[in-house]
Amino acid sequence: MNVVVCVKQIPDPADPGALDPETKTLVRSGKLILDESDSYGVEMALQLVDAAGGGEVTLVSMAPNDEQSGLRTALAMGAAKAVLVSDEALRGSDALTTAKVLAAAIGRTGQPDLVLTATESSDGYTGTVPEQIAELLSLPSVTFAKSIAVDGGTASVQRQTEAGYDDVQVPLPAVVSVTAGVVEPRYPSFKGIMAAKSKPLDQVTVADLGMDAGQVGWSGAGQEIVDVSEAEAREAGTIVEDDGEGHQKVVEFLAELKVI
Amino acid sequence: MRFELTDDQVDLRDAVQALLEDLCPPEAVRSAWDGDGRVPSAWDALVEMGVLGALVPESAGGLGMTDEDVVPLLVECGRVGLPDPVAPSGYAAAAALTEALGDPAAAGSAAEWLGRIASGDVLIPVVDAAAPVVGAASADGFLWCAAEDAGPQVLVVAPDQVDLEPLQSVDGGRRPARVVRRGGEVLLTGDVARSVSVATADRLALGAAAELVGLGERMLDLTVGYVGERRQFGVPVGSFQAVKHQLADAALAVAFAGPLVSYAAHSMAHGDPDRSRHVSMAKLRASTAVRHAAAASLQCHGAIGYTVEYDLHLYMKRAWALSYEHGDPDAHRARLRDSLGLASGRN
Repeated sequence: MNVVVCVKQIPDPADPGALDPETKTLVRSGKLILDESDSYGVEMALQLVDAAGGGEVTLVSMAPNDEQSGLRTALAMGAAKAVLVSDEALRGSDALTTAKVLAAAIGRTGQPDLVLTATESSDGYTGTVPEQIAELLSLPSVTFAKSIAVDGGTASVQRQTEAGYDDVQVPLPAVVSVTAGVVEPRYPSFKGIMAAKSKPLDQVTVADLGMDAGQVGWSGAGQEIVDVSEAEAREAGTIVEDDGEGHQKVVEFLAELKVI
Repeated sequence: MRFELTDDQVDLRDAVQALLEDLCPPEAVRSAWDGDGRVPSAWDALVEMGVLGALVPESAGGLGMTDEDVVPLLVECGRVGLPDPVAPSGYAAAAALTEALGDPAAAGSAAEWLGRIASGDVLIPVVDAAAPVVGAASADGFLWCAAEDAGPQVLVVAPDQVDLEPLQSVDGGRRPARVVRRGGEVLLTGDVARSVSVATADRLALGAAAELVGLGERMLDLTVGYVGERRQFGVPVGSFQAVKHQLADAALAVAFAGPLVSYAAHSMAHGDPDRSRHVSMAKLRASTAVRHAAAASLQCHGAIGYTVEYDLHLYMKRAWALSYEHGDPDAHRARLRDSLGLASGRN
């Protein structure tokens, strides 16, 4: 069973992020790491391949500056190979362009049995790329998977809902987005870390994917960021001196909020 | 030597750091105080990752790495206050057994034990039978360096061949004991046993020094965070010279200990004739610097630093204990002085 996992390499959330005042997009000039929300998809893919008794996990990523760090992390977890699309022309790409690029890159991996993604990235949060990829590849799509079991040409997916989960059956190949936290991503072993350095990484440009540079990046984007502003600071709370009737103030406050 | 870690060493260190941040948070160290002095989830994950087999030769199922690769990992173990015996078992004992592989009579037992260490069994070295042995109660065996009348010996001793007398420690996260040997399998004798005993003592001291550096950095991180938040007179207390200069001095002391630890690891890996001296320099500097950092951290925290509910004491008490283990500052200062041929005087 061959599984493709779309992974995003993002600025380390532990470091304070910054916006480029000119482009109004996130500064991505430093080292990028594997988006934690993608590590669940990688883990699930590795488990599915293990359960199938054969096949491999291939990573697909679009990142600036030839960034490989996050891919090497996922390769160290056990993925077999990766496709990296990195091209200056991609700067400013919107979600749909990203999906087109990833769909074209997935095409370079052959015919996967399953494509996994996170439900959304931790730095972009559009949450639309998985379904756009499915549409572009003309594949069925299931979102918010909390577990996946493959039997022959069908995947049984538990799709998380607000009330619990739905059992969904989907014919393969398909695109499935995996909810964060549903599996425990493995720690890469030392052997895995060392082996990851020599695993195949197919680095390609927009032209290699048969796409026109004018269709991607800022010129291909169907959106424009016209302004960004600071989020409003939280207002200081109200301090009530308790003169013995403080609880009444709390009750009144909660009643005002219709909590009680 | 090149003090900067190689790309590979950085990757391995970062992987261990990420694992330990997840699996050995302060709550886990705290629970080791109430339990048996171990954090099983972290230990199992370190075994799975390959840390305990890092120094074990590839022929014995390990990764065949060197002191220079492993010592940075021990800094990370110290940084989180991991109470488990990574340094004694996975570093000092594994290195001694690797030496023993060269002796045809000892090779079989050594290879078996190296495999067991890589799989997570704990072999605790004992180089000074009079000193407390940390982790003795949960050991699967002891690597005993003995000075017998007939000459030096290195033995492998089973848990049922020793008597344990549990001891109290200021560091409640680990379980020291006095260990009395009643038997054991002789592994090495003569000059080989002597040199392995010295190297094992050196690696125990170096492992402690590495952990101390991690602990020092952790305490200073914790303290800098605290004094940046705690406000008095409308400003963070960290903005006062009396606080920031004290922490800067401590940070400088710890920063100077790190390269000595790296240099000692380089000397051990390359069989430098002065390696024992370099280890003493590292352990001496790490012990004094980190005790300095502990004192500064405690003072800059004010009253909360004295409470057991606050995390600082977990790291501070480990630092105090490790600064005395495997040679206290006076002992290493004396060894350093002797190795330089200096006259005995005030320490």
